[in-house]
Amino acid sequence: MASVSWRHALFFLLVVNLSVLTTACSSHYGNAIEEFCLAKFKLDMEVLDQRQWCSWEDTVESYGELTNCTFLVALKMNCFWPNRMVDEFFIRVHRHYFHDCSMSGRLLHDPPNQILGPFIVVPILVTLLMTALVVWRSKRSEGII
Amino acid sequence: MAIVGHALSIVSLLISLAIFFYFRSLCCQRITLHKNLFCSYVLNSAFTIINLITVVNNPKVVQRNPIGCKVLHFFHMYMLGCNYFWMLCEGIYLHTLIVVAVFAEEQHLHWYYLLGWGFPLVPASIHAVARKKYFDDNCWMSVDTHLLYVVHGPIMAALLVNLFFLLNIVRVLVTKLRDTHRAESNMYMKAVRATLILVPLLGIQFVIFPWRPENRLAGEIYDYIMHILMNYQGLLVATIFCFFNGEVQGTLKRQWMQYKAQWGQRRREHCSMRSTSYTATSITEVPAFMYHHDCNSEHSNGKQTEDSELVALKTGETYA
Repeated sequence: MASVSWRHALFFLLVVNLSVLTTACSSHYGNAIEEFCLAKFKLDMEVLDQRQWCSWEDTVESYGELTNCTFLVALKMNCFWPNRMVDEFFIRVHRHYFHDCSMSGRLLHDPPNQILGPFIVVPILVTLLMTALVVWRSKRSEGII
Repeated sequence: MAIVGHALSIVSLLISLAIFFYFRSLCCQRITLHKNLFCSYVLNSAFTIINLITVVNNPKVVQRNPIGCKVLHFFHMYMLGCNYFWMLCEGIYLHTLIVVAVFAEEQHLHWYYLLGWGFPLVPASIHAVARKKYFDDNCWMSVDTHLLYVVHGPIMAALLVNLFFLLNIVRVLVTKLRDTHRAESNMYMKAVRATLILVPLLGIQFVIFPWRPENRLAGEIYDYIMHILMNYQGLLVATIFCFFNGEVQGTLKRQWMQYKAQWGQRRREHCSMRSTSYTATSITEVPAFMYHHDCNSEHSNGKQTEDSELVALKTGETYA
């Protein structure tokens, strides 16, 4: 609920401040998204622990809101979305918050070698044991079974 | 294209199984192992075809990711293991027969059944658990993961152990038994030869799989060879173990001769009822299975008699 009222406040501010600028897109767009959208995103990310910044599950909501905010500001300012200023804005955001996240990120990847190793070696050993067992039992099968 | 290969494999394997079940005279322990091996190949090809048709060629199913396609994948991995472990059983059986117990027949096959049908559940289950926990992609279709080695590792181990056993058998046959048991040695050498051809054929696809050549022509040749090795395995196994088997060929020839003789006899009876110039003496002179198809000519073909005698001699000889 707090984020909804936040958003309403933002829009009100926008409408009041930008009612004068009804003409085409200008460099004020860059300032506008810095002021209105990035501030909220910064607050959200500060709430999270820095180690969680690379976790998609924790950051997807705030990131989505940031994107949406830039889109709405663009609409209000008669700017085409996406545009070069939005791109540069996001590059700065990524450079600050996501610069050391792993490349694969959300992709599926193998478990680390400490887990993968036993998963592979144990079946091989069990196979060899089982083979030895069968050889031994068939050797002694004359009277026993 | 893979479907064609597997379908051909299934057909040839079913024919071989029919031959093995119909001709009781061929029955022995080794043939029982062959039958189990062929069954596992038939099931493997069937599962592969089902997998290809319902899952791989069907992106909607992959998108939906039902639990059924993972179960299918699990059974596919199990059947793959069964194939190679039954080949291992054949190798162990020959090894026990020749090297360990020296031609003593009548081993107990329970442990072979356990190794062939029961044990492959172990790597398949471990793979399923690991896949679910660490690499749970849609329908488990991805081949980019090292978790596949959970199944392929034991298979390669089985192939290596099999190769080792077979080479040991060859060593024993060539060195130790050549002088003392020449006749049996020859017979078992033929038996081993078939298995020894098959094991590298089945295994080489795992060895050369990572090394696709860069050159365009060589790459295409590689693709064709891998395609044949992977999809026509059942056909190869059926051909080498059944259709090229001397004893099977002999039995089939004998059966064919019998049919020919019976058919010839029936036609002969028809002709004799119709033609009035036929005399009784020519029936007794010619051996029963040598009636010529054509009722008009009554020459007893000495050549045909000779051939049939040779066939009768040969059937007892080869065992491979």
